[in-house]
Amino acid sequence: MNENGSKRRDWVKNAAIIFLAVMLVLTFFSNTIMNYSLPEVAVQYVQSGSITAQIRGSGVVESDDPYDVIFAGSRKVESVMVREGDTVQAGDILFLLGEGDSAELETLQQQVDAAQDNVDAAQKNLDSAVNAIEKAILEGQISGTTAQHIQNGVSSSLSSYMSRVSEADAKVADLEKQVDEINVAIGQLETAISNLQNQGAPDVSAQQAKVNNAQAALNANKLYQADADIANYTAKINERSAKIEQYEKYAGVSGGDAVSGITKEEYEKAKSELSTYNELKKNAEQVKNGATQADKDEYSRLQSELSKARTELSDAQNWQPGSIAAYQRDLANWRSQLEPKQKELQQATEERTKLLNEISYEMDGGAGLPGVSGNITELREALSDAKEQLQKAQDKVDEERAKSGGTSVTAPISGTVSSINVTAGHDTSEADPNPKSGGYIVATMMPEGVGYTMSFSVTNDQAKTLTPGTQADLVNAWRYDDVTVTLASIRPDTQNPSQQKKLVFNVTGNVTVGQSLSVQVGDRSANYDMIVPNSAIREDSNGKFVLTITSKATPLSTRYTATRVDVEVVASDDTRSAITGGLYTYDYVITTSDIPVNAGQQVRLSGN
Amino acid sequence: MKKFLHSLSLRQVILGISAIVSFLVFLVLFGIAGVLSRSQLSQQMAARWSPDGDMAQISCFFSQNAEVSHDNIEEFRHSIDGALTEASIEQDSPNANARLWADAFSAGGRISVTSDRTTIQANALGVGGDFFLFHPLRLLDGAYFSESDLNSDYVILDEDGAWQLFGSNDIAGMMVYIGGEPHVVAGVVHRERGRLQEAAGLDTTLVYVSYDTLEKYGTNNGISHYEIVMPNPVKKFAYNYVMEHIGVSEEDREILENTSRYSLKKRMEVVMDFGLRSMNGKAIIYPYWENVARGYEDIIALLTFLSMLFLLYPVLLILVVLVILWRHKTWTAKSVFLFLQDKAERGMDRLRVSGKEKKEAARAKRRRKKEYKDKFDEEEEYDE
Repeated sequence: MNENGSKRRDWVKNAAIIFLAVMLVLTFFSNTIMNYSLPEVAVQYVQSGSITAQIRGSGVVESDDPYDVIFAGSRKVESVMVREGDTVQAGDILFLLGEGDSAELETLQQQVDAAQDNVDAAQKNLDSAVNAIEKAILEGQISGTTAQHIQNGVSSSLSSYMSRVSEADAKVADLEKQVDEINVAIGQLETAISNLQNQGAPDVSAQQAKVNNAQAALNANKLYQADADIANYTAKINERSAKIEQYEKYAGVSGGDAVSGITKEEYEKAKSELSTYNELKKNAEQVKNGATQADKDEYSRLQSELSKARTELSDAQNWQPGSIAAYQRDLANWRSQLEPKQKELQQATEERTKLLNEISYEMDGGAGLPGVSGNITELREALSDAKEQLQKAQDKVDEERAKSGGTSVTAPISGTVSSINVTAGHDTSEADPNPKSGGYIVATMMPEGVGYTMSFSVTNDQAKTLTPGTQADLVNAWRYDDVTVTLASIRPDTQNPSQQKKLVFNVTGNVTVGQSLSVQVGDRSANYDMIVPNSAIREDSNGKFVLTITSKATPLSTRYTATRVDVEVVASDDTRSAITGGLYTYDYVITTSDIPVNAGQQVRLSGN
Repeated sequence: MKKFLHSLSLRQVILGISAIVSFLVFLVLFGIAGVLSRSQLSQQMAARWSPDGDMAQISCFFSQNAEVSHDNIEEFRHSIDGALTEASIEQDSPNANARLWADAFSAGGRISVTSDRTTIQANALGVGGDFFLFHPLRLLDGAYFSESDLNSDYVILDEDGAWQLFGSNDIAGMMVYIGGEPHVVAGVVHRERGRLQEAAGLDTTLVYVSYDTLEKYGTNNGISHYEIVMPNPVKKFAYNYVMEHIGVSEEDREILENTSRYSLKKRMEVVMDFGLRSMNGKAIIYPYWENVARGYEDIIALLTFLSMLFLLYPVLLILVVLVILWRHKTWTAKSVFLFLQDKAERGMDRLRVSGKEKKEAARAKRRRKKEYKDKFDEEEEYDE
């Protein structure tokens, strides 16, 4: 038990020694050990001093009112007598020019030549027109009066034209009418002749019917029949008597039948027939002889009617309305009249055409006449225009010669040469052309007493901090020698008038147009009690704050704690801010730390 | 205790120790995941902006097709105040100049920076709003700049750029030329290094300029990112507001809430998205901090997943032990009650006997302590 007890005491003693030793070590190194777990912070103390809020920007130096030296022509530059930045007096030579006319002058001279050609051509046209008119008078194309009218560029009144034309028209119309009448007569005669020539036997059927009727009426008359029978029977009797006589002549001769050609039977028959016919003739003669006077009158009337009808028929058959010969005589007569009338008409028509032409020539001032190329008045005007053009071109040449002639370009004003746009050996036309009045801007000058400006845009907030009249500092001032930049005005920026302002600066000193300047400008610096580095300002939803360091001394070391102090930033520059808040000058504020620091957290200072 | 230990078999001891080790591994992994999730300062803006936890940080990323302009962003900004008033959110800070919300945007590009010594061509971020409030890069010199500054011609170089242009980090306030125009070096920042950071785009010099400068004097790839920290009175209020009003079509944007991106729920979502996460149907190029954040998202999800596995083992073991104990229990509810009553009474007796003096001593000690503290506070006030 004792042994056990002493063992336990040893163990307790050992444990206590080890514990105390460990505690001792930890106590000595506690600072170091703890430091490793604490955020390391860099601090700065709050200072008083001045802050100038400055706006930076860059702009290009421009001349307030640059003067362009303009050379009208294109000439070769022999040598450049000045350098950029030189101060020259009016009349000083800027450039020497090479020999020869400028290209412009040559072009203008060509224009003069062309204008002269135009004048010649117009003169020629006019001359040939006048000649042509004279020729037209001689050829009778136009009258002298018309020619005079044409020459003088006047024309008769419209009514006079119209009366002359209508007179001619009437004459032509009259002659045309006459010719037409003759033609109509000739046509009719020709038709009649042709009809006659083509006509067959005339239609005589009516007359024929009349004759037939009269014949029928006559035939029906007993006296006529008796006469007819008598004649008929007489003829037959004669024939039979002849036959009998013939037969009887050769009756005794043998073969007499054959000689007379009559047979005995025929002879017998003829003898009997003769007696019959004699009987019949006797009967007929009795009728005739027994006729009354009325019968005889009737008979003679019928006979006269038949004869009349026969005459009519014969007349009808032989009717002709005059004779073709008579027509042809008439036709020849008309034709002989036609030819002179036609000639007369042709002449009248030609006269009318001539009149119309003449009127047209007169109205057109001769245009249309062979050899006349246009209205003579216009030709005269063209000539006068061409002469005017020639004069103008000539004037230009004179002017150009006055301007670009000579052998040098001189300074038109006194001032500083700010840029030279040509080089020796090159043409003046290689410089920028002058858009306003032509020519080339060979150099730009700053007139004496006129300054430079420069401008750039800033935001409205930036512009608020500035007042015109403030002198601006040049960024990298060592680069410039004796340059002063002053804020002249603050204007709305036309590019973005609602959000931007344009700062315009006056620049004096040793600068040239086109040079870019970077400046910073700010109102006069103000003094503030508390200024901290920008990196000390923090922000969260409770606003801006800084973390200050509060220290507490302990027996072994000093403990530093980060404490939040709400602040308001009243001014800032690039690196520092002026603040207001519950701080004192020479309080320490935390600027940076290796890990985020919270308010109330213990920290260690860098370097400790 | 000794008796209990002696009663355990070797198997039980091994199981017990392994369960404890597994639980410890869980704690370590889970802790590392937590530390990693808080290490992304770009994702912690809401907490920095207001410690009360009533803010949310929302990020939007745009494709080049979105063609977001400075004017679009101004328009969006003008709509916010009205929306907040409508939601009865008003500034209750005693500081009159305090803001309810802050925002930032950026555009990638390239720019040429000239110092008196040399000229460098570098990747550039044209930033607007309070970019550096959201991305508090470690300043080696100088300060950040913001859109509300009077001049917009500030440049922040990383140490690499500062070295190339000046050969020094101590160059705040020096002049460089961009596009022939003088610009002032506002500060020099530390460029984060590491496998993820370099892969994310921080492998070459990066110059931070104002968006105006990039637009005027550099090659501008267009605004590709916008973020805002604003009040979030109810869950997703800020997210929904930005989504509805940012005015970019869905296929050209991606919107996320940074504040909750490493929450346990989101981590689990990342695990569940395994395989799908690599797919991308939008022509969006993430800025480097988002790439890094996404890398950490993967790592944290993996750590969380592993830690859950390690937690599973002790939990299962405890369940098994509880089941066995329940099956072999030798006690009843009454016996437990009596046992506890007996213990309590004994304790009370002991206190009554020996506690009186101790109590007095303790009271006196507390009083002294209080007095000392009051005195110190007064001194401190005086100091201030």
